[in-house]
Amino acid sequence: MNLFLLGASHHSAPIDLRERIDFTRRGVPEALGEIGRRTAVHEAVVLSTCNRSEIYTVCDNPRHAGQTLTAFMSGFHDVPESELAPHLYARHDADVVRHLFRVAAGLDSLVVGEPQILGQVKDAFTDAARQGHTGTVLNRLFPWSFTAGKRVRTATGLGEGAVSVSYAAIALARKIFGKLENLHVLLVGAGEMAELTATHLRAQQVREIGVANRTSSHAEALAGRVGGTAVPWERVANELGACDIVVAATGSASPIITRADVDAALRPRLDRPLFIIDIGVPRDVDPAAGDIEQVFLYNIDDLRSIVQENLARRQSRLDRAELMIDDEVNRFMAWLRSRAAVPTVIALRERFEAVRQAELARLQPKLAGLSPAARARVEEVTRLLVEKLLSSPTERLKATADEEDVAAYAEMLNHLFKLSERPQDDRETEPEAAAEALAAFSRDRTR
Amino acid sequence: MSAIPLLLYVAASAAYAVHFGRRSDLAGRCATLVLAAAALTHVFVIGMQTMESGHLPVVGTSGAISGFVVLLALAYLYTEMMTSERSMGVFIVPAMAVLQAIPTATNAVASRPPVLESQWLAVHVLSLLFAYASFALACVVGVTYVLLFKELKAKHLGFFYSRLPSLRVLDVMNGRAVAIGWLFLTLGLVVGAIWLAQVQPGAVDPRVQAMSLFDPKISVVLLIWLVYTFELYARRSLGWSGRRAALLSAVGFTIVLLNFVPIGYFATRSHNFY
Repeated sequence: MNLFLLGASHHSAPIDLRERIDFTRRGVPEALGEIGRRTAVHEAVVLSTCNRSEIYTVCDNPRHAGQTLTAFMSGFHDVPESELAPHLYARHDADVVRHLFRVAAGLDSLVVGEPQILGQVKDAFTDAARQGHTGTVLNRLFPWSFTAGKRVRTATGLGEGAVSVSYAAIALARKIFGKLENLHVLLVGAGEMAELTATHLRAQQVREIGVANRTSSHAEALAGRVGGTAVPWERVANELGACDIVVAATGSASPIITRADVDAALRPRLDRPLFIIDIGVPRDVDPAAGDIEQVFLYNIDDLRSIVQENLARRQSRLDRAELMIDDEVNRFMAWLRSRAAVPTVIALRERFEAVRQAELARLQPKLAGLSPAARARVEEVTRLLVEKLLSSPTERLKATADEEDVAAYAEMLNHLFKLSERPQDDRETEPEAAAEALAAFSRDRTR
Repeated sequence: MSAIPLLLYVAASAAYAVHFGRRSDLAGRCATLVLAAAALTHVFVIGMQTMESGHLPVVGTSGAISGFVVLLALAYLYTEMMTSERSMGVFIVPAMAVLQAIPTATNAVASRPPVLESQWLAVHVLSLLFAYASFALACVVGVTYVLLFKELKAKHLGFFYSRLPSLRVLDVMNGRAVAIGWLFLTLGLVVGAIWLAQVQPGAVDPRVQAMSLFDPKISVVLLIWLVYTFELYARRSLGWSGRRAALLSAVGFTIVLLNFVPIGYFATRSHNFY
């Protein structure tokens, strides 16, 4: 059993290729179905976001899986293999685990620490699990990645701080006003930035959005799109008094809002704060307005430097995050390796059980004279005896994390108890016993 | 036994500091738990003292400080519950620990002179202590408001920005704490005056004789009342809020502390019941 990953992301593939190999276009369920039919992998999860298309699998032969999965991706997306292959990356075993944990923690994201990816990984796993494409290994690996991702994020504060200008503005507004409901916003200018910020503000359920623009038809159009009302251009200065947040983003060459405007507008309202976001270049608001006690004036450079700081802080936390990831990978791999002992445990138990059954069958004539209660007693005593004899070796085997040790033990046990000499079909007659042993085993290993 | 609350207040202070510095959620939960334990044992200690002496142990200044600390702890825990905001703890719980050291060191419960055996007095003392606890909260909230305000104004978003709630929340908390404190302050003063009017004519106790507007403890408390009345007025009618209101409540509480400890121990001739 090997872990194998094949995929492409913003690190390896340009956007136009990423768009063409986006699984969501034809549907992840369909992709999973086809992987199940066309390749020999045992388990599969397809993770498809706008920045990555990845297939996580458990297979017997990684080399073969790599070839078939590449062929599958090429066929599924109708992209020639020669064009696709150079942009794909493959990972094996521990590297698959590390990759997934880094993805879940947001370390592999375009914007390091962004939070959406964790939800996308969860969805990808849920989709695959619901359709029965996951098994023991991925059922363990993915939930583990959610916990690991979350732990890394909270312990390092990786996801903190806005990393885009409009989010930085919203974060500031929230720090000043708390909830943004019931606030009155005035947009001055009807450009793209104004619209973007207004959309974010609308999502925060501000009470009212006024839109002013030199060209009143543009103001009306934007007001219509963001659910606000158009404000006549010459009323901007008067409107300030009623506002909590002003977003200024015009292409004007000279300041539109002067300190005197702000002074006059704020005099009647005293200490109620006014947050002015000036994203116009050149500036739309006289910088001196920021000297007024209750005015918080941030221009585009202020916001950018906040974003830069946040990005730098995220970067500085990466080292710690990588260490934590290493730790989680090691723990997962220890679990995975310990699973190597499972077949031996099962074989051993079956062997002993077979001996017991054979002995009971052999003694059948002698036991026939006993009462049903006594026979049941014999049955129970022999079963307990086998269980007792096996309990310590089973425990020890399960506790062995080192792969080589497990192999050595397995070989020794095979030899001593002639485990491999058992006819293969014998094993298939007792699938329940095997399943039971496996279940008991997995239960014990659960953290 | 009476040292246990003090130790727990100290432990809670440390935990709040760790919570604030490292933003550790676990430390925060521990801090709240330890503080709750401190308040509970403190209530228990006060209960024991009440049973022992037959009256609430808030007669002398030490007893009053102890009562103030436990009320402050309870008021703070209540605010924490209401706002799910633990960042104030690091500012306020250490003050509890420092103040609680005074009654712990003096320990003995002041005996109650017969003249104070009145239900009015219990109301008087408890209302004033609760008012002071509210003012303490308002002061801490106000100070943190100013800290955050400065960071936002300077566009240097750092330590406090990532740890404190929004300016608006701090402002509302400050306003509420002052309003509640003012109500209890007024109640306490009125009840004290009613009691005085009843006992002063026939009293021989020099302390009761000394109770007038010119006694430092009493004149300063009237000053405190004026400061907070002005803050409420300024908030309602002058539109003051934010930084000015915050600074005013810090000034108010500084006077409260001065009136409580130095004046309470050394200057007053009327309120020195040890």
